[in-house]
Amino acid sequence: MVSQTQTRVLTCIQCGKCTGSCPEAGRTPFNIRMLVRKKQFQSVVEESIPWYCTSCGACTLRCPRDVKPSEMIIEMRSALVENGAIPAAIQKALENTFVQKNPWGRSRAKRGAWFEKLDIEVPHISETESKRLLFTCCIQAYDPRCMVIPQNVATILTKGGVEFGVLGEEEACCGNEIRRVGESGLFEELQEENKAAFEEYGVKEIIALSPHCMNALKKEYGDLGIKIVHYTEVLAAMIKEGSIVPKGSFNKKVIYHDPCFLGKQNGIFDEPRSILNAIEGLEPLEFSRSRENSMCCEGGGGRMFFEVEATYQRNAEVRVQEAVEKEAEVIATSCPFCVMTLEDPATEKGITVKELSEILMEVL
Amino acid sequence: MNKVLVVGGGIGGITAALELASCGVSVTMLEEGPSIGGRMIQLDKTFPTLDCSTCTLSPKMVEVALNHNIELLSWAKPMAVKKAGQKFQVTILKKSRYVDIMKCTACGSCFPGCPVVMKSEFNMGTGPRKAIYIPFPQAIPNKASIDKREDRPCKAACVDACPIHTNVLGYLKHISEGRFTDAYMLIRATNPFPSVCGRVCYAPCEQVCNRGQLDDPLAIRDLKRFAVDRFDLDSLEPSQIQKTEKKVAVIGAGPAGLACAHDLAVEGHEVTVFEVLPEPGGMLRYAIPEYRLPKEELRKEIRYIERLGVTIRCGIEVGNDVTLDAIKNDYDAVFVGTGAPKGLLLDVEGENLPGVMDGLKFLRAVNSGESVETGKSVAIIGGGNTAIDCARTVRRLGSENVKVIYRRTRDEMPAAHEEIEALLQEGIEIQFLTTPVCFYADNGKLSRMECIRMKLGEPDASGRRRPVPVENSEFSISVDSVITSLGQATQTSFVEEIGVLLAKNGTIEVNPLTGLTNVEGIFAGGDVSTGPAYVVDAIAAGQRAALSISCYLKNEPATMTKAVKKPERLTEDEVVDLTAKIPRVGRIHMPEISVKERVTNFGEVAIGYSPEDAMAEASRCLAGHIEGCIQCGECEKLCEVRAVDHTMRDEIVDIEYDSIVLAPGFDLYDPTEKREYGYGTLEGVITGIEFERICSVTGPTGGDILLNGKTPRRFYFIQCVGSRDRQSGARFCSRVCCMYTAKHASIVKDRIKGAEIYVSYIDVRAYGKGYEEFYKSTQESGTFYIRGIPGEITKGENGLLVRVENMLSGEMREIEVDIVILATGVRPRKGTEELCNIMSIERDEYGFIKVDSITPSRTNVAGIFVCGMASGPKDVPDTVASGGEAASRCMEYINQ
Ligand SMILES: Cc1cc2nc3c(=O)[nH]c(=O)nc-3n(C[C@H](O)[C@H](O)[C@H](O)COP(=O)(O)OP(=O)(O)OC[C@H]3O[C@@H](n4cnc5c(N)ncnc54)[C@H](O)[C@@H]3O)c2cc1C
Ligand code: SF4
Ligand code: SF4
Ligand code: SF4
Ligand code: SF4
Repeated sequence: MVSQTQTRVLTCIQCGKCTGSCPEAGRTPFNIRMLVRKKQFQSVVEESIPWYCTSCGACTLRCPRDVKPSEMIIEMRSALVENGAIPAAIQKALENTFVQKNPWGRSRAKRGAWFEKLDIEVPHISETESKRLLFTCCIQAYDPRCMVIPQNVATILTKGGVEFGVLGEEEACCGNEIRRVGESGLFEELQEENKAAFEEYGVKEIIALSPHCMNALKKEYGDLGIKIVHYTEVLAAMIKEGSIVPKGSFNKKVIYHDPCFLGKQNGIFDEPRSILNAIEGLEPLEFSRSRENSMCCEGGGGRMFFEVEATYQRNAEVRVQEAVEKEAEVIATSCPFCVMTLEDPATEKGITVKELSEILMEVL
Repeated sequence: MNKVLVVGGGIGGITAALELASCGVSVTMLEEGPSIGGRMIQLDKTFPTLDCSTCTLSPKMVEVALNHNIELLSWAKPMAVKKAGQKFQVTILKKSRYVDIMKCTACGSCFPGCPVVMKSEFNMGTGPRKAIYIPFPQAIPNKASIDKREDRPCKAACVDACPIHTNVLGYLKHISEGRFTDAYMLIRATNPFPSVCGRVCYAPCEQVCNRGQLDDPLAIRDLKRFAVDRFDLDSLEPSQIQKTEKKVAVIGAGPAGLACAHDLAVEGHEVTVFEVLPEPGGMLRYAIPEYRLPKEELRKEIRYIERLGVTIRCGIEVGNDVTLDAIKNDYDAVFVGTGAPKGLLLDVEGENLPGVMDGLKFLRAVNSGESVETGKSVAIIGGGNTAIDCARTVRRLGSENVKVIYRRTRDEMPAAHEEIEALLQEGIEIQFLTTPVCFYADNGKLSRMECIRMKLGEPDASGRRRPVPVENSEFSISVDSVITSLGQATQTSFVEEIGVLLAKNGTIEVNPLTGLTNVEGIFAGGDVSTGPAYVVDAIAAGQRAALSISCYLKNEPATMTKAVKKPERLTEDEVVDLTAKIPRVGRIHMPEISVKERVTNFGEVAIGYSPEDAMAEASRCLAGHIEGCIQCGECEKLCEVRAVDHTMRDEIVDIEYDSIVLAPGFDLYDPTEKREYGYGTLEGVITGIEFERICSVTGPTGGDILLNGKTPRRFYFIQCVGSRDRQSGARFCSRVCCMYTAKHASIVKDRIKGAEIYVSYIDVRAYGKGYEEFYKSTQESGTFYIRGIPGEITKGENGLLVRVENMLSGEMREIEVDIVILATGVRPRKGTEELCNIMSIERDEYGFIKVDSITPSRTNVAGIFVCGMASGPKDVPDTVASGGEAASRCMEYINQ
């Protein structure tokens, strides 16, 4: 029997729209259209190739024949995972996730460390009335750079009188990246674990702090019967209602980078911008490639965990360069992956990367 | 005779109709739009022969119009269809076009004046059209129509209140959309003094403006001034005038006389104006102070009147230097507009002392540049606009203690509210309920004025409460000079000499609608017949007189100007309704020079709007809030054959037909949702049909391929946009876009030397005779065909960046171009669904009309046939073939 992916792949007309959309095309040995072609004929694909895909989703969103090339990549990676023919770093990340429920292998018990030092009380979901869950991403839970994001958002929500709770160490990695590196078994396990927790505590709404988690929870966990939003949607609405009012001013030129999982793949473009626009003194700028055409930062699809072989100018550098040319003082974004990839080249060029919640915290 | 209904006037419908008519069938053709021609008439050329599309189709369209067997109904569509036996009972909606097609001569006089600029559907929005329009020169029927979509929410009371019926809503519409010159020209169409009126009109329009019932009335006058400020009248060339050999004398160069002279000159009469003072302008020149109306503004408008051929002779006093009788003998007609130049007396003791001056004389002296000594303390007697002009002038001359003495209270003051405000701001005090009773001098110099307090008694003839002195309330004020401003009177003894009837107060008796006096050939108007009034009333009177003088000179009875409609207010319900719909936005005020600065000189106080503020203020006009015609009436004024009829109503008729042919055609895919291509957000990304319009001689650029006025050099065509595409729900191939793209590329090659052209394709579909050859010759001429569809288009440094994989070589490329043309696919015409529903016709999954596979014009309903794009993608030859097939199936059905 031909798999679903295979039947889709067979309908490819080799129009090349996917390659024209792919952030890896041209600069790396990766050619997605060609991979589809090879898959049509079951030809051999060099093992290192499928790992370039950043899972930005552009190809799948634009393919006129609905071939879903990025899903095909996941399937190719699955085959590699099954054969153990995968980069060591990825192997490690998968093992870590299996044990500690996060790709870095940090202690699961420490997943709630981010709120321990906070002035405000962050209740466990079971203690809340609203059953509104604040869901953290592994990067935000463990990486010292990104830990401020949940801290900020929790503080802002509390200020605005929005009740929420957390799962703490009962929370597991959402699995978005795990599925994309081809480990569907582990993904299903993570999904089951999280689902069970949601069920146990009667979660009614989830505020995801990372677009990647939001994507997995919203689109890949099946119908949970739970309202799932990204935190920027909540904050934008709070500003609009007036439950939080940015008082101070932020007198800087700020250029906003649309994360693929928030923008392209989930259509959230205006909320983050409306938050920035509500801040006095802030002068918003736009990249020439923004919104649906935003340039992928190359942090997704497992690329966070390892370095690809080819050396080439990274998209993050291209991005930073444009920001510098446009005389931006701050690059703002709303995804922990983007913060991590953009920050290195940005620091090199003397420009700051700030997660939206960081800017907002400064003016509240 | 058998009757067939053909729905749709594209090439499909036209073919079917002509075939049926030639078989002796009586055909009714319904076309939803203003003209037949469909999409084909929008095309520049047709593939593969590159014949001019208009040249091929136009004769067929004319044939439809001339064929006695075809009745063409434009702006018409079927609303309901009932099958009655073998026949069909059809209810047809005939939308009114508000232009009588029996009268309209397609002269086009009405378009330029229309203030509503819309996107031309014919030009796919690449060019404008007016609300009254003919879509293209070859239109059939070649008649104007008005795009009226809804009733104006306001009553345009402004126009009715304006003595010269300025098209207020029209010029506000122009300003709100940034067409400042058009606004000026529209104002000028009824007013030779826009600058004067834009500054000093009392604006009766604003008093009745319906928006005032919601928040604030529009700043109609200030916006007029804005339009004036941005126009250089000296560069306006008067149009050629046909001379009449008739001579008219105008006595008095005030606004009444000059407006009359202006209109007479436009009619071709030779006009001479006699003026006693050294410069023309009347009160505008010698009474209104510089800070309200700069002299140069007035001079410009008078210069234009002189450029129309009017001779102005200053320094001649009629009645003294020359008699009216002598003038009457030398000229064919005379207009008297000498105003009311005499100040009224106060009639108290000491009035003749030096230091007591008449206000008009005082203003005349200052306006003539004479130095006038007023001293430190000055009292101005009176409460009208002239009194305020005097007071503010005195303030600017340096007097510190300026006081206005008025015998009633503020409520009764005749002066304009804003003038009183300005006066108070400038630190001038008004002493109410006070009147002088005697002036005293010291050593022959005025020193003191005795006043008495007044109180208000019973209302007098003017309806205002009469002031009566309060006994024993006398007190005195020390003054260096006194200026009296108590009203004005006419000086009309010179007209009395030739027997012109005067009223008791010395004004000339005239018929107010025609300006005619009791003496043949003598007309009069303005303050001389009404007593002191306002500039715009004088202009109106001069214009009315000019109209009747023209009639008189042609020996025609005087045309009365149309009965004036009273300004209407909104009803309470309408106010409630509009308040709910329209957010409150108050008036944006025109900035003024600070009080501190302004009182030191005679510079103009009001500065004028910025374009942004003017546009924002003008867009508050309620009439501008609707789509389409705003019912301003300009077209009606301009149409000489009186074809415009705003009272027309839609009609519904029921007619029986033996059979029906459907040819509603197609629309094009709107690529806005393909955000990666930036259609609608990136400049330079357009669609194929828009490109046809830009290439076409009947298009907005007259056939020059231009983008923002510049010739693009680098072209990128992308095929299959919205065709063969699951994302947009159309899995089918549109069949025409490969070929029209090849056509576009060869047109570009032909017209733009050295053009760089790329075409992105998946595979090229050039089936059948002549098509593949055409594709090949397009390639040969140097068009680069790239196999690979671009992923995205972004803005590059010097143009648009197209990211594409040349998949035959496996190279990724970023190609920079000036223009990207999306070969968008076809879709069933909007409205096809409704059309099918009323006659129970089945459609396919994309909405095209379902047909029988072996009889491709037969629908699921016997007796109803279809042709052209309506049943699926077809090019012109295929459409023509399907039109013929539909006609023959139709004959077969009828003759069964
Ligand atoms: C960019 C472009 C370039 C092209 N170039 C070529 C070319 O070079 N050569 C070629 O052979 N073909 C070309 N084509 C194809 C060609 O335009 C069509 O084949 C042709 O116009 C189809 O004619 P039609 O009568 O079926 O439909 P249409 O031309 O769409 O006419 C339908 C008419 O019906 C009217 N109508 C619709 N609904 C109703 C209703 N309910 N009641 C009354 N009236 C109604 C419409 O207003 C319209 O006037 C091109 C197409 C495009 C988009
Ligand atoms: S976009 Fe789709 S159809 Fe086109 S080449 Fe890529 S996978 Fe194939
Ligand atoms: S998902 Fe993005 S990175 Fe991966 S193949 Fe598609 S376009 Fe390329
Ligand atoms: S009434 Fe005015 S807006 Fe309407 S079509 Fe005539 S000129 Fe244009
Ligand atoms: S005709 Fe050509 S461009 Fe149009 S949809 Fe078919 S293949 Fe694509």
